[in-house]
Amino acid sequence: MRRWRPHAEQVVTVVTKPQAAPLRRLPGVEGIWVFVAADMAMFAILFVSFMQGRLAEPALFEASRQTLDVNFGGINTLILLTSSWLVALGVVAVRQGRAERLPALLAAALACGLAFMVSKAIEYGGKLAAGITMLTNDFYMFYFTLTGIHLFHVTAGNVVLVVLWVKARNGAFTQDNCVTLECGATYWHMVDLLWIMLFPLLYLLR
Amino acid sequence: MRVEPVAVDYSMWKLLAWTGPVFFIGFFCMWGLLADNFPPMAANTSPQDMWQHYKDLRIPIMVGMSVCMVLGSCYMAFGAAVSRVMRRIEGPEGMLSNLEMMGATITYCPIVVACGIWLVTAMQIDVLSPDMVQTAYYVAWMIIDLAYMVTSWQIIAAAVVFLRDKREKKLVPSWVSWWGFVTVASFFPVSLIPFFKTGPFAFNGLFNFWVAFPTWYVWIVSMSFFIIKAVRRIEIEDGAAQHADSAVHGHAPMAAAR
Repeated sequence: MRRWRPHAEQVVTVVTKPQAAPLRRLPGVEGIWVFVAADMAMFAILFVSFMQGRLAEPALFEASRQTLDVNFGGINTLILLTSSWLVALGVVAVRQGRAERLPALLAAALACGLAFMVSKAIEYGGKLAAGITMLTNDFYMFYFTLTGIHLFHVTAGNVVLVVLWVKARNGAFTQDNCVTLECGATYWHMVDLLWIMLFPLLYLLR
Repeated sequence: MRVEPVAVDYSMWKLLAWTGPVFFIGFFCMWGLLADNFPPMAANTSPQDMWQHYKDLRIPIMVGMSVCMVLGSCYMAFGAAVSRVMRRIEGPEGMLSNLEMMGATITYCPIVVACGIWLVTAMQIDVLSPDMVQTAYYVAWMIIDLAYMVTSWQIIAAAVVFLRDKREKKLVPSWVSWWGFVTVASFFPVSLIPFFKTGPFAFNGLFNFWVAFPTWYVWIVSMSFFIIKAVRRIEIEDGAAQHADSAVHGHAPMAAAR
């Protein structure tokens, strides 16, 4: 494979040029943004479906919404925001040359991700114990499927965090090599953002 | 004993690569247009209405499904072409190219079984009760939809390998691989089709039909396009490598064998 190699005079030119401001670039690779955009578009379609259902049966949706525990939704929001923040701190640390902080930050983010799963399991358990399933009515169909698909994303995100954590412990990420970390962080932020839209839609919207 | 390298049959490779377009064009026309599956009959249609649907469209459904049972095999042949391109990237010992080919091959199974059930339902419509027609219609949908994980393995394997391509200009662009991951993500809610006969998660619903199937179709069309181009590029790469080899060693170019 042929690669471009600069001639000596070109290298000199680059070195002697005044330092320009670093170019802004998209974190990660372009492909992860294709994935994020498409995945969020799919969720958007589901959100529109939910709103259509809500418009068709406002009384049923409102009565069902009131059975949801806002505290669970709120705590889960805080958990995911914290997790996202920890991952962002990790990326910043690596970019600033302090990659040794990354494993601890990723481990804490992973703990938050697992806490979200536990919280969701408790919430689902309560609903199922009360005899409420996704077949109870259209609101619960959306409640279980939207949060379920999101939970699937959280589970996948936790797997990603484990992989990143193992790589971080092995010193795989440096200032010049953090594209994989940025891809994982981008995905994790998307999972967070989706929940920030889901929470008001399901738990708060009157 | 010296084993002579075997020539690569690029013509056969190109032929197999072109079975991708044959599959997606043929399936679109025969399953979608002729058999009237755009949109498919709704899951909450009454047994009597389903029976009438098959009675009215007996011949188009029979022709469409018969052709689809034959054309569906092109997906398998296309998978073989994709697998061979993947092997050029991951090497002969790589497992993902095998996984891709197996995924494509087994994807044909639910296609042929489901089309067979729809075909027989149309064929035997005069001796079937409305409830039997409805059951047969559901059985075919469950089989063709819920086998999605086999296709998912195929798509994941292809995506991983093509993302690992070290060429300056990859044989298959990264966005196609990432779209593959999107396709797999769109498949998972299909697991909900047994539970809903209305709404976005019914098999004819907004998500599980109008999002999941077109997403897969975009992947097939784009992958077909780039695999056809990739075979041409590999042929050129091999030709250049042979000429370079003959220039160094001073013998006539010989057929590449990889």
